[in-house]
Amino acid sequence: MSHPIEVEGLVRRFGDIVAVAGVDLVVKQGEIFGFLGPNGAGKTTVVRMLTTLLRPSAGVARVAGHDVVSAAGAVRRSIGVALQDAAIDPLMTGRELVRLQAVLHGISRTEADRRGDVLLERVGLSLASQRRVGTYSGGMRRRLDLALALVHEPSVLFLDEPTTGLDPTSRRALWDEVRRLNHEGTTVFLTTQYLEEADVLAGRIAIIDDGRIVREGDPKVLKEAVGDYRLQVTVAPHQLPVARQALAAFGEPRPSHETAVAIGLRAGPATVSAALRALEDAGVPVEQVELDAPSLDDVFAEATGRRLEGASIPDEGGPE
Amino acid sequence: MAVVVVGERDVGFGARVALEQGRALGLRSIRGTLRQPQVWLPGLLFPIFIAAVNTSAMGRAVEFLPGFDGVDSLLDFLLVASITQSVLFGGLAAGSDTATDIQTGFFDRLLASPVSRTSILVGRLMGASVTGALQAMVFIVLYGAFGARVAAGVPGGLLLIAYAMVLALVIGGFAAMLALRTGSAEAVQNMFPLTFIVLFVSSAFFPTESMEGAYRSIASYNPVTWMVDGMRYQVIVGLDWSRAAGSLLVAAGLAALAIFGANMALRARLRRAT
Repeated sequence: MSHPIEVEGLVRRFGDIVAVAGVDLVVKQGEIFGFLGPNGAGKTTVVRMLTTLLRPSAGVARVAGHDVVSAAGAVRRSIGVALQDAAIDPLMTGRELVRLQAVLHGISRTEADRRGDVLLERVGLSLASQRRVGTYSGGMRRRLDLALALVHEPSVLFLDEPTTGLDPTSRRALWDEVRRLNHEGTTVFLTTQYLEEADVLAGRIAIIDDGRIVREGDPKVLKEAVGDYRLQVTVAPHQLPVARQALAAFGEPRPSHETAVAIGLRAGPATVSAALRALEDAGVPVEQVELDAPSLDDVFAEATGRRLEGASIPDEGGPE
Repeated sequence: MAVVVVGERDVGFGARVALEQGRALGLRSIRGTLRQPQVWLPGLLFPIFIAAVNTSAMGRAVEFLPGFDGVDSLLDFLLVASITQSVLFGGLAAGSDTATDIQTGFFDRLLASPVSRTSILVGRLMGASVTGALQAMVFIVLYGAFGARVAAGVPGGLLLIAYAMVLALVIGGFAAMLALRTGSAEAVQNMFPLTFIVLFVSSAFFPTESMEGAYRSIASYNPVTWMVDGMRYQVIVGLDWSRAAGSLLVAAGLAALAIFGANMALRARLRRAT
């Protein structure tokens, strides 16, 4: 039996620019697959190809068992899509939009009303269902977007950066809903630039950079493969060379911000005090110390030599 | 539910579902227009204002200016002009709303669903056409309250409504074509001065007999003149099926051209996107 998403050698060019440069992916039945990468890495281009909004320049992609080019209609009937920015008509009410979306999927008006009631209740929008969407908060729009994507009970759900701009409460509510859907058997393809989101939700991830998959697998395994705890010390700029030399014995250098030295602690967190003592012995006053367990950002850094900008979830999002 | 696979270009549901999709999208279009008074109100108020100014300033002109034979009231003469003006301005919404859908990403939402691509266009134009009918009804009733009468009676009124519906397809089709080509609501709004010129260089507000020189020549060849004159006959003189058919045929021809252009623009946009 084929997998819900199978991609081989997927390429997309825009003129001379190669946005996606040969992506291979398999998403298995019933998993939440996290697709990570910085802005402009090619995440959305891949999603647009998989959801039939963009034709691949080369390669093959099958979604829900159908080719995205030769059987695009069948793909559209099988997938639910919540695109970035929740493009929702602000002049319509939530109920009207759900009904419209159902009719677009060939569902009768009576059945559309029934499913609409169930879905709006499920995403907590029953009371607001008669209000125009223009009056909804960002979180409510995202929840409605999710309801719209589910109206035809898709087997594969694409969520393109579903929590960008949301406040922590709305984000967690959406995560809970995604988990619930997944437990009910829906395969979820989740793109996000938030590493924590992928860490919390995804059973497997792929990291894309410059149009290529640079890492793929179980997040836990990928982090373990990066290995070491990361020690970062902030020092005066003129002390940086001395600090680097003092810490060299404790592990390999890691990317860090300009006024800091970072290493992967080869022998684990137990050697932190020894490393700090080495700095003191070298006459380097330490301004700040940070010790981080391996993260997906480390996986990204290890793969690309760069940190994923904007990868951490902001403390405060848009109003709920 | 039976699914008919008709190839990649269409998306797999039968004609009944495609019609239902078109109806739902048409309803969305009508709701969207009615919920934006700033879109339809100027299209009603501006023609009323012009009619009020003209009837006040030149109400007696019908008694001596050429081309007003048989015209009892300038308001009768201006009824078709007001409907035409209102529909031309209001029909632009079909284009600007399409462009807004493209700009906001709602168009992508439609494309990611198994909706018939043709239904997207049909729905928008259906909405414009029904809105055009509502506009015509408003003018017939409102001007009727101020003494204007349609000499052709109820059939004449129905012909005016049919004319407004087809005219809405003309302007809506051209506006949707521009929207699909450019994806810009601003570009569609820039059609406004053009519709203004086309309307005023026609017999909408003055009979061609009262015009001179190049202005008269241009107005004589302006399709708006052909449409307006045939419809005005129903208001001023009485029911004349052949003149009405002439007007409606001109409008239908232009509508066919506009819808063809919009459909080509839709196909081109889909090709560009994919």
